[in-house]
Amino acid sequence: MTALAGLVIVETAERVCGEYAARLLAVFGAEVIKVERPGGAPTRAMGPFHDGESTLFRYLNSNKKSVLLDLDCSGDRALLDRLLTRADALIDDHRPEWAAAHRLSLGGLPDLVHCAITPFGQAAPSHWQIARPINVMNAGGWGWHTPSETPADKPPLQGAGRFMSDYEAGIEAALCVAASLLARRRTGKGQAIDISEVAVQLSRADAVLGRMLAGDADPGPERTRYDMGGPGAAFACADGHVYLLMTTRTHWRGLCALMGDPDWAIAFPDDWLEFHCTPDRVADFRTHFRAWIAHQAKDAVSDAAQRAGVPLVQVNTAADIAHHRQYTHRGYFQSLDGIAYPTVPYRMSAPPARIHSHAPMAGAHQAEAA
Amino acid sequence: MNRAGPLAGIRVLEITKVWAGPYAGKLLAFLGAEVIKVESRANLDEMRAYGGVDIDSAPYFRSINQEVLSVQVDMKSAEGMAYLHRMIALSDVLIDNLRPGAMERSGLSYEAVRAIRPDIIQLSIKMYGSDGPLGYQTGYAPCFAALGGLNALVGHEGETPAGMNIRYGDSTVGASAALAIVAALHHRETTGEGQFIDLSAVETLSTMIGDSLFAHGLTGDLPRAQGNAHAEMAPHGCYPCTDGQWISITVADEVEWTALVATLGAPLLGQDARFADHASRLAHRTALDAAIAAISITHDAEILAETLLLAGVPACKSQSSLDLIGSEALWSLGAYRLVTDARGETRPVIGPGWRMSPDEAPIEKGAPLLGEHNIYVYGDLLGLGERELADLMARKIAY
Repeated sequence: MTALAGLVIVETAERVCGEYAARLLAVFGAEVIKVERPGGAPTRAMGPFHDGESTLFRYLNSNKKSVLLDLDCSGDRALLDRLLTRADALIDDHRPEWAAAHRLSLGGLPDLVHCAITPFGQAAPSHWQIARPINVMNAGGWGWHTPSETPADKPPLQGAGRFMSDYEAGIEAALCVAASLLARRRTGKGQAIDISEVAVQLSRADAVLGRMLAGDADPGPERTRYDMGGPGAAFACADGHVYLLMTTRTHWRGLCALMGDPDWAIAFPDDWLEFHCTPDRVADFRTHFRAWIAHQAKDAVSDAAQRAGVPLVQVNTAADIAHHRQYTHRGYFQSLDGIAYPTVPYRMSAPPARIHSHAPMAGAHQAEAA
Repeated sequence: MNRAGPLAGIRVLEITKVWAGPYAGKLLAFLGAEVIKVESRANLDEMRAYGGVDIDSAPYFRSINQEVLSVQVDMKSAEGMAYLHRMIALSDVLIDNLRPGAMERSGLSYEAVRAIRPDIIQLSIKMYGSDGPLGYQTGYAPCFAALGGLNALVGHEGETPAGMNIRYGDSTVGASAALAIVAALHHRETTGEGQFIDLSAVETLSTMIGDSLFAHGLTGDLPRAQGNAHAEMAPHGCYPCTDGQWISITVADEVEWTALVATLGAPLLGQDARFADHASRLAHRTALDAAIAAISITHDAEILAETLLLAGVPACKSQSSLDLIGSEALWSLGAYRLVTDARGETRPVIGPGWRMSPDEAPIEKGAPLLGEHNIYVYGDLLGLGERELADLMARKIAY
């Protein structure tokens, strides 16, 4: 029996954050009934497409059931009520006005675990709630500080892919829903959960921004305020890129040995990373290192670095990961009918999270709502 | 210790250091669990050492470990380990993020821990997981982001993909760990069975690009870093404003486009044939970005963002650390909280990403002093008397 077997979750969410939160719970075995608008969920129209279907939709909605309901129509809205009577939780990610207009305001379903995800949380001004992921990434500070060492004339970046802030908020929502469902199993009581995508972004920076908030470190307008200094960075190598993080004397000695103790390295004090890590020295190091690493192959040099105790690793691409021996060993990708689904980053000794069904056709489980 | 919150009554023991493991413990504590951090002066969390001389007021440590309890145990002594075993027997969850093999060397393999507490949920955070061909390897968060495929997708167009900010990754790993633990608590609730959860930090960061990995598997098209470009929206990016500020703006349809043109007071933009419709704007995205940047540069980012939002165009100022901690809106929305530590010192901390009602765990207590809860754990939980604890401390078993 999978971890969340027996729990029923209704999903009225129509953005990636809510759909991902429900996917996380579905992969752990919860029965998720997705409510789609006539014509299908908006994410069905988002690319990239394969065989005429949205790969994004297929990724986010595996393991779910689908019912088509027009929540603007009272008959279908009543069907949702019937669905909710046998549900344990509801996950939504619309604006509070939409929820109110559809009798789904947070706090109005006290017997359920009801989670609503919005960009800024329920109490925020209504017009802020239209923010999209790149807006959330920038409102929360990670955009401003990404990448590290960005010069002032280059734009802040949205992060990896299109949905990082959605996935972060989805984890938070799934965590709160699962915790509240555990309490509900014991007490029978519901919970209203208000997730703020921006607050999640801030929380993920607690050890950096939190020190500034408390006055232990200085905040500032610079793009580099989250940076650590030091020579750590991505570098181009012969067949791709590698990432070097180097902070200690041991790392430095290891790297020197790896490079064959070149003459230029002798000019650097042995303890420069700890005590003499000036911008000039970092720049000097990078000039020399860049020339050396440009001729190295990423797998070979990374393996040698690990043996030398140097945190120098491959910058892997999706292609590298698809056939990666450690991912294969752990079964991160699970094949269903020949399609490789990313699963979860955990191996669990009890029945594992797994993908048991592809994303549904719109309305494939309409009988559930009857 | 009685607390409110959905995880009230769950006891978590954490043998964790630095960021990812402690962050998992913090989130569970913020949900109401009783989280006890096992510490020793002989083997201190580095976060108690960075940035100061007083291990009880270390900035990094205090920025993460709110609402967590601290008990001192010398895990290198047999006697200390015997007490730790007794604590494990009273716990629902054990978390560690030590180096590969360290728990086993301390006699805390899952088999050993399960012998003490049969239904324990033990979660172990490692860079690559606990076994397998690369399970021996270690690294730091930026390495997880590089190995997990995330960094390859972050970079300005045409440059080496520089990756996410160097601080990114640990907290995401911790949050994912917390979720797996709660899922396992459900499994235990249903079956009575505990389990071992072997978490890979690298794979955790791969989940942040899960849709890209899945799409690559189906289409064969390799996703790459492309700045702020979006396949289905233009404009979609960050644009310069006055005083070195930046604003993020996204436009998905004609309504938003019309509102943007009107708000920017840029009729020429609206009449430009290259930007006449959605498809044209996507095709001429670079020219469009330049045209918008030429206008945005004359605006204050915060004022422009508010104006655009009111007009229905998704836009937010790109906030610096100075903006974030000075934001009245974030304070009033409860993103920041005040906690008080055992010395009576009150300080602001960053709250979690949620509010919940009616059963929310209070967030009031700052990070613990080293061994602040020795009396609670050794006394109230294990039943030792004051003298016995004093003796343990004198002999550096509780150290």
